[in-house]
Amino acid sequence: MPGIFRVSGPRFPLCASLIGAGGLVVIPHTPQIPPELKSRIIIRQPLQVLSFSESSAGSAASDIEIPAETCMGLPGRTYVLPRDSSECLPRFEVGQRRHARIAACYVQNATARAHDRDTVQWQQTPSELRSLGSCAPGRANARATSDNDSDSVVDEEIPPHSPNPTMRIPDLFTQYPIVRDALVTPTSQAQDETVEACLPFLRGESDKVTTYNEHGVASLNRETHLPFLRQWLGRLPGRLMGFDAGRPWFFYWCLAALTLLGEDVTQYRADLVETVRFLQNPEGGFGGGFGHLSHLATTYAAVLALALVGGEEAYDVIDRKAMWRWLGRLKQPDGGFQVCLGGEEDIRGAYCAAVIITLLRLPLELTPESPAYKEDGSVNLLTGVADYVRSCQTYEGGISGQPNAEAHGAYAFCALGCLAILDHPARSIAKYLDVPRLISWLSSRQYAPEGGFSGRTNKLVDGCYSHWVGGCFPLIEACLNGSDKLPAADEPSLFSREGLIRYILTCGQDHSRMGGMRDKPGKFPDAYHTCYVLNGLSAAQHQWELDPPATTTTTTAAEEGGNDMAADTAALAEAAAEAVWAVLPYLGEEGPQIFDHKDRVRPIHPVYTIPTRCVKAMRDYYGTVEGF
Amino acid sequence: MPPKKKGGGKGKASQASKPPTATTEEKATSKDNATADKPPTKEKAKANDSAIGPALPPSSTTATTDPPPATSTTLPETQTILERTRARFTAARPYEAHLIFGPQQQQQSGPLPGKEPGLGGLGDLQPQERSAWLATRIAARIARRPALSATATTVGSATAELARVACGGGAKTIKEVWRIVNEGSVPLRAAGEKQFLGSATGPVSRRIVRWEGLSSQAKGPSAGAGAGKQVPSSSRESQTIAAAEARWERRVRLTCLSAESRCFRAQRDRERRGVCDDRTGERVVVTEQEVVEEKRRRLEIAALRREMSGQGAGSAARGVGKIASDPEWDDVVPVVLEEPEGALASIAYPADYAEAMSYLRAVMKANEHSERCLWLTEYIIKMNASHYTVWLYRAAIIFALKKSIADEIEWLNKIALANLKNYQIWHHRHLLVENHFPSISSDPSAIATFAASERQFLERILAEDTKNYHVWSYRSYLVNKLGLFSDPDELASIERMIDDDVRNNSAWSHRFFLVFSHPDRATPGVAATEPDPKVPPEIVDREVAYAQSKIRLAPQNQSPWNYLRGVLVKGGRKLSEVEGFTEEFVKGLGKGEEEEDVKSTHALDLLAEIYAEQGRKEEADLSLQRLGQKWDRIRFGYWEWRRRCLGMGAAAA
Ligand SMILES: [Zn+2]
Repeated sequence: MPGIFRVSGPRFPLCASLIGAGGLVVIPHTPQIPPELKSRIIIRQPLQVLSFSESSAGSAASDIEIPAETCMGLPGRTYVLPRDSSECLPRFEVGQRRHARIAACYVQNATARAHDRDTVQWQQTPSELRSLGSCAPGRANARATSDNDSDSVVDEEIPPHSPNPTMRIPDLFTQYPIVRDALVTPTSQAQDETVEACLPFLRGESDKVTTYNEHGVASLNRETHLPFLRQWLGRLPGRLMGFDAGRPWFFYWCLAALTLLGEDVTQYRADLVETVRFLQNPEGGFGGGFGHLSHLATTYAAVLALALVGGEEAYDVIDRKAMWRWLGRLKQPDGGFQVCLGGEEDIRGAYCAAVIITLLRLPLELTPESPAYKEDGSVNLLTGVADYVRSCQTYEGGISGQPNAEAHGAYAFCALGCLAILDHPARSIAKYLDVPRLISWLSSRQYAPEGGFSGRTNKLVDGCYSHWVGGCFPLIEACLNGSDKLPAADEPSLFSREGLIRYILTCGQDHSRMGGMRDKPGKFPDAYHTCYVLNGLSAAQHQWELDPPATTTTTTAAEEGGNDMAADTAALAEAAAEAVWAVLPYLGEEGPQIFDHKDRVRPIHPVYTIPTRCVKAMRDYYGTVEGF
Repeated sequence: MPPKKKGGGKGKASQASKPPTATTEEKATSKDNATADKPPTKEKAKANDSAIGPALPPSSTTATTDPPPATSTTLPETQTILERTRARFTAARPYEAHLIFGPQQQQQSGPLPGKEPGLGGLGDLQPQERSAWLATRIAARIARRPALSATATTVGSATAELARVACGGGAKTIKEVWRIVNEGSVPLRAAGEKQFLGSATGPVSRRIVRWEGLSSQAKGPSAGAGAGKQVPSSSRESQTIAAAEARWERRVRLTCLSAESRCFRAQRDRERRGVCDDRTGERVVVTEQEVVEEKRRRLEIAALRREMSGQGAGSAARGVGKIASDPEWDDVVPVVLEEPEGALASIAYPADYAEAMSYLRAVMKANEHSERCLWLTEYIIKMNASHYTVWLYRAAIIFALKKSIADEIEWLNKIALANLKNYQIWHHRHLLVENHFPSISSDPSAIATFAASERQFLERILAEDTKNYHVWSYRSYLVNKLGLFSDPDELASIERMIDDDVRNNSAWSHRFFLVFSHPDRATPGVAATEPDPKVPPEIVDREVAYAQSKIRLAPQNQSPWNYLRGVLVKGGRKLSEVEGFTEEFVKGLGKGEEEEDVKSTHALDLLAEIYAEQGRKEEADLSLQRLGQKWDRIRFGYWEWRRRCLGMGAAAA
């Protein structure tokens, strides 16, 4: 009886890997298929046959119509299953691991016969026939399994994925990418597992999500995220003592996330001031905990947290003079900063320092105790930072943490943040970085069907890169829109805002009563991810505009005497800090707004990652203070 | 990674990501999650801490919330018990009894106002009684030490003599001991127990009732349901007596131990000051054995205090911690953390960690570089490896004491394998290499040996975590520092990793660094994305071929494509050089659904650049268009921007 059948079961020796729309499909090669069957396989996606051993490939060649030179099959072509030759193909061997996958494939025009149900299951699914006829996505229920070969497991029948008719979800987000390789390596396994974990959420099918809207997007679970964040600001259990070296991070992550959700955080002011007071060291800066050395990352977090709660009380707690001297001691001759005295030097340190210096309006002069000090005054706190950033761009176009390392999303944000503080992004980013390569790399971080960003080439999506990578785009846009050498970044957006929002609201949230945002489905939510996933959501929901750079800023300051270069640096940074970032809700042409109005979070400053009003209030306050 | 969790980092910290679970309801939720999802493995290691939750009230407060017992009825009974116990105790151990209960008249008339009877005990002893008491304790101690007891001259030697031996001094010493005991107000009891000891008022009976409940619980099912409430009065009485007696025993033991401990401290102090023994004229020395005993003693004191304050064994809050119980640390005054009221995100530190931190603050303040500090850093690192401060301090100590770098690296290897996501470890290693290198820099064979052992370890740890960012960063540092660019083993090692997983981008990045940052082939100051005339053409050819061979394995793998493009640019080549190769992966572009076949979107991307380079704008545009429309739709906006680049004549490359 003609029809389409699915063969499945864990026992099949693997024959070939077929990449189907929406699922990893493996064509089983099994002696149980009768030779006379002449089963044919419809392959709707490119097929690559793997690991033919020389001899078996020979024996099977007469039956398999697969172009020998590439081992690639073509979508829509019909291939004949090899007949009885159970040794046809070995299992995939990668490193030490053996991979067995539940086999499943579609067989057309086969005669349904009773077979040993333990080993082969033939089932006719008319819907599959239809889906094969059209281009609608099919889905095979294929999951990586361990190599236990438990014979009793027979894959249960799951019809190919037919999109929920009540939700409008583009197939881009419901199926595997159409171009995929069959070679299995640990990287591709991890990637497949991630896609498998994300798909139910993306398809509007996860029973963990309480409400999907008509676009198949979950709503933002404010009512659980808010208590979750407040809990992290409260007393934490002892098992979190690993965070003893980074307590100010909790202040920033939670207060920023609460702010993004529209909460008033000024109520935390008094407690925050008292808490950071005892983390501040007399030699300047804030430590991760009481008695810890001051660290640029924790100082950055503490300063931003103080800016978030605002108020003179908060501003006055910072010992700016000590901070300034401490920053000078961290400044290195190559332009970068050590993260703490004797600590490592990386681009994160440079970004944190640049934020602190400009938010606190610290003088840029160095004292002789700085390793970068020069008697002629030609070097200041910001000198050489841009060159340091430049030395971190890699051949891939992205930015590494230190020169000669791998491009990484989080460092990309730090790099762009640094440059945007030093000068108008249209000048600084374009001058010090290879912008087209950078954009190419940033754009490559977004994956389908997940929609989220990964941190590096061939790594997995992770919610926090919604900020680290997603947050780069407003800066890139400001760079492009103020430049006349490269096309402006108008419609459509350089990244898929829809994809990112889908990922964040479906996969990036914890949907249980626990609340909080997370890396990906299967991971626990935490304060770090809650903050940066919401930051990313804000980046996707808003559009920033920065006025093009004024043309003559560079020459004005030089006349005031002193060293020209140093004075220029100061003037440019001052202008960059004063530049007005205007924000609009993103109302692009990408399509309808897929999220509910109430789920729009607050905008945050693309460089300082706190609301613009907080940046302004803090800078204005220190602007009125004479000296320290 | 920047602001790290793992530390957290993703320091991570990696990533202790579970939020505090304050209520049982939430615990249930997270449990549900745990069954559905894999809990972070790091959690397991710290599972023992989870019992100490902020919401968990100390058991002493539960006592006060117990339903008040029928005080009036138990009162006389308890008094009887007390009296009976005291009588028995006093008969057997007069000095201790005196010490604990105070003089007889007090006992009879009840506690004097303002003076706790139990605390008054020591002061009320007659001098000779004190000596006698102390001496019996000391004698008991000496009896356990054959070596010393042999020196006790006669069997009937005076207790004072024994004391002198023990304390290393004469009568003056004993006096001094007692002065210390008194002035230091030896904690003869935990505060919560005063009432119980002193009088039979409400709290006492309450406490006793609680014990009763506990003991019946401990008896388990045999005691029957509700047995705790319905014990016959006689059995209740005997239980109470037994419990009270056990308590006296503990109290007495604690007192004795405390006194002995004071003796030890005095002795230690004398040793430090270089005081000579009155008797022998030799300088006072505290033996190893005595230190060991003192450690044991302090642990016992701590345990007793915990028991008596009714706290669980896991908490050393009111007892003595591991460090405080080590005589080695007697001279350090710990800097205790006192968080402000209402502090945000305050962590309920486990007692051991809190204690260690308070000692760390003290020794760091004093800038002490010693063996014991080295031990302390290890102790803390094993509890919290992301503690950057303690790592830097450790490095300073290692260098100050001129410790063997090889030993330290060996130690570090173990820590690194246990903390894969930690990155402080790698900076520490960096510092070690910086310090070590000058000693081997002039000896190529020593460098080669060191490089080989480092590589061996790096391979091992990368086998566990193939893309660990900080390990790779360290590896590139090491190559630079030791000049391993031409080392064939390094390149071979990287090739093995690429063979294991051709998608390991970290390995590809390292290869690029190895090949193109080679000082013989790199012009300083040339950016990674810029051509460098110093690169020899044969190197470019070799790398192009290598990348191409790997692309064929999995054409949709972006790593070798990025590499290929990077190599061509670095070598100053035209991208068109690989036009033929790239076109292998793109067929029938624009010729309709049937014909068009793209095996690699990265090939199509490169092809668009190649066409643009050759001025074939329409084909370039078509390539980009097809990428956005069909083959790589998630990047539609980017491909559109690239099309606009063509229009502007910008190479977009
Ligand atoms: Zn993350």
